[in-house]
Amino acid sequence: MWISKIKLWKTATFRVSVFFSLAITAVTAVVLVFVYWQVVKRDTAHQNRVLAEEVARGVNQTLPQLTREVDLRITRDLRAIDYAALFDSGGKLLSGNVDALPAALPIDGETHTIGLISRSNIRRETVSVLVVARRRQDGSVLLLGRNLSEVYAFRQIVLEALALGVVPSLLLAFIVGTIFSLRATKRLKAINRKIISIMQGNLTERLPTHGLNDDLDHVGRAVNLMLDEIVRLLDQIKSVGDNIAHDLRSPLAVMRIGLERALDNGSSDDLRSSAEKALGTLDRVMTTVAALLRISDIEYGRRTSGFKTIDLVEVCANAFDLYQPLADAKRIVFTLIAPEPLQVHGDFDLLVEAVANLIDNAIKFTPAGGFVEVAAKSESGKPVVRISDSGPGVASQERGAIFKRRYRSDATRHLPGIGLGLHMASTIAQLHGFDLCVADCREGAAFEMSLRDAA
Amino acid sequence: MLDIPNDNNNKPLLLVEDEADMAREIENELRSLGYCVEIATTEEEGLHAARVCSPALLIVDRMLSGSDSLSMVEALREEGIRSPVLFVSGLAAVDERIRGLKAGGDDYLTKPFAMGELAARVEALLRRSNEAPATLLRVGPLEIDLIARSARRGDRTLDLLPTEFKLLEYFMRYSGQTITRKMVLEDLWHYRSLPQTNLVDVHVGNLRRKMDVGGQPSLIRSVRGVGFMLDVDLEN
Repeated sequence: MWISKIKLWKTATFRVSVFFSLAITAVTAVVLVFVYWQVVKRDTAHQNRVLAEEVARGVNQTLPQLTREVDLRITRDLRAIDYAALFDSGGKLLSGNVDALPAALPIDGETHTIGLISRSNIRRETVSVLVVARRRQDGSVLLLGRNLSEVYAFRQIVLEALALGVVPSLLLAFIVGTIFSLRATKRLKAINRKIISIMQGNLTERLPTHGLNDDLDHVGRAVNLMLDEIVRLLDQIKSVGDNIAHDLRSPLAVMRIGLERALDNGSSDDLRSSAEKALGTLDRVMTTVAALLRISDIEYGRRTSGFKTIDLVEVCANAFDLYQPLADAKRIVFTLIAPEPLQVHGDFDLLVEAVANLIDNAIKFTPAGGFVEVAAKSESGKPVVRISDSGPGVASQERGAIFKRRYRSDATRHLPGIGLGLHMASTIAQLHGFDLCVADCREGAAFEMSLRDAA
Repeated sequence: MLDIPNDNNNKPLLLVEDEADMAREIENELRSLGYCVEIATTEEEGLHAARVCSPALLIVDRMLSGSDSLSMVEALREEGIRSPVLFVSGLAAVDERIRGLKAGGDDYLTKPFAMGELAARVEALLRRSNEAPATLLRVGPLEIDLIARSARRGDRTLDLLPTEFKLLEYFMRYSGQTITRKMVLEDLWHYRSLPQTNLVDVHVGNLRRKMDVGGQPSLIRSVRGVGFMLDVDLEN
């Protein structure tokens, strides 16, 4: 299983934390190097200038004065970094701490870096020294110098600081990365366990969230919502199947009994009438199943590819036209009120079906001599279709239930129908973003289909 | 129902259906009506047969051993084969009908259906394919003018409501053929599911009352269990 194969250093958290630590370390090092470089540059320039000035001043002094100055300079140099010497014109040392004029040193009053024996008493080794020499008017040479060990010491300090800083910060990065990725891995492992459990069919399981509002929590919550939706859809599919099975079972049972009895009786007239009856039942079952499938298709399929701009008034006129003779036959006053075109986006045929179902109901439940009115108009900018009648009306406690499938009111149970008309109309309305509801009405029932406010 | 179609009986009907039982039932029904039927069970067979026998009409199952037959019809249309196509399908979804008609189908019948319904659709499609649009229709003693919106039976002018006129025109276009209730609802009112009420019968009843006055024989007769037929031969 892939859970166990999560390796610490392969986790994203670990990599990210190590990467960031490395980046911070690198930036720190760059800053230190820059500071070091700047300091060294300025320090050396300062030393150069001071030495050149001192030697320039020295050459103008008298010899005894200069000798004293040189001696004083050496005496005062407690750090043993200063070089000072006075040579006669033949190059012989008159006074000072440099044994002989270095051959490599040009006597030009400019500073040069050359190797000289260290003045330190502990280690006598050649060190880099900044030296300047200048010839006096009498031919003698004044030499001044300064050991660069201070600069090197500073470099040493910077390097040590770098080492001291970088190594622990790398270590810290590793530790922090480990801790974070361990935590992340723990959560991921928990999530993986849940996912595998869900994959094995435990659809009630949900991914753990920690209320941290971090990215993992966000993903977890999104996945949980998705699972809720999947469960809802599965339930719906199951209920569609259950509905169909339920609606098939009893008519099929009735058909079976009828055919069996006819076969037993043997009379060909019986057989014929039973077969005809069975055919009628079968047709009704087929109609019901087709209607149920259509409803669930419209309800859950959300198919809107056939939608175009259509006139709701035309839809109503079409359905009105279709039902006119039926209303006439019942001596029902049947009116259509549609003052102006109502453009909506939808499927013409489906909307005809919805309106026709509502009209069908209205005519069915309205007693002879009553009235049914179909109105399609714009109310406060929204298209509304209202079908009102003078039938028994809808009791207030039944108003929610009538849109459910196969609901037959006690008052109308004796009338023919498969009890899917209102459910179908409501489903089609929903698909088009319309709400179908029972409106208040002075007498009888009024169904109102109005465009839902845009959310 | 047993009258043999006159002008198409030399050309066969091509049935593309992979379910053997369904294919046999449809074949029996169509043969009993006097049609010559070729059967193909796969898309390839269907394509081949359509190219070879130039059928008068194709009856195509939407799902052929798991695959969609829309592409087959599209291919036929691209090759210029214009024979009408009637889809029969277990796919009842709202969009499927539209997709089927877009792909080049001419009618769409959802399973399960009554054989009478299928036969009526086949007849209507065959008739439609060789019919020229006219503004004046004449069938037996009936005559309607589609521009003046007037109708006559013999010398008598029929005073028809727009709906009744529409219905009469429909019957005259398909005279001598069985018209199912479903066809009337779909073609005249865009109504695609069968209501429980006897709507079509009421419409036809009203039309009959206006057409047949004073003991005149009814020109529209009922076809039991299926629908109606405009039959002018009755008068002679």
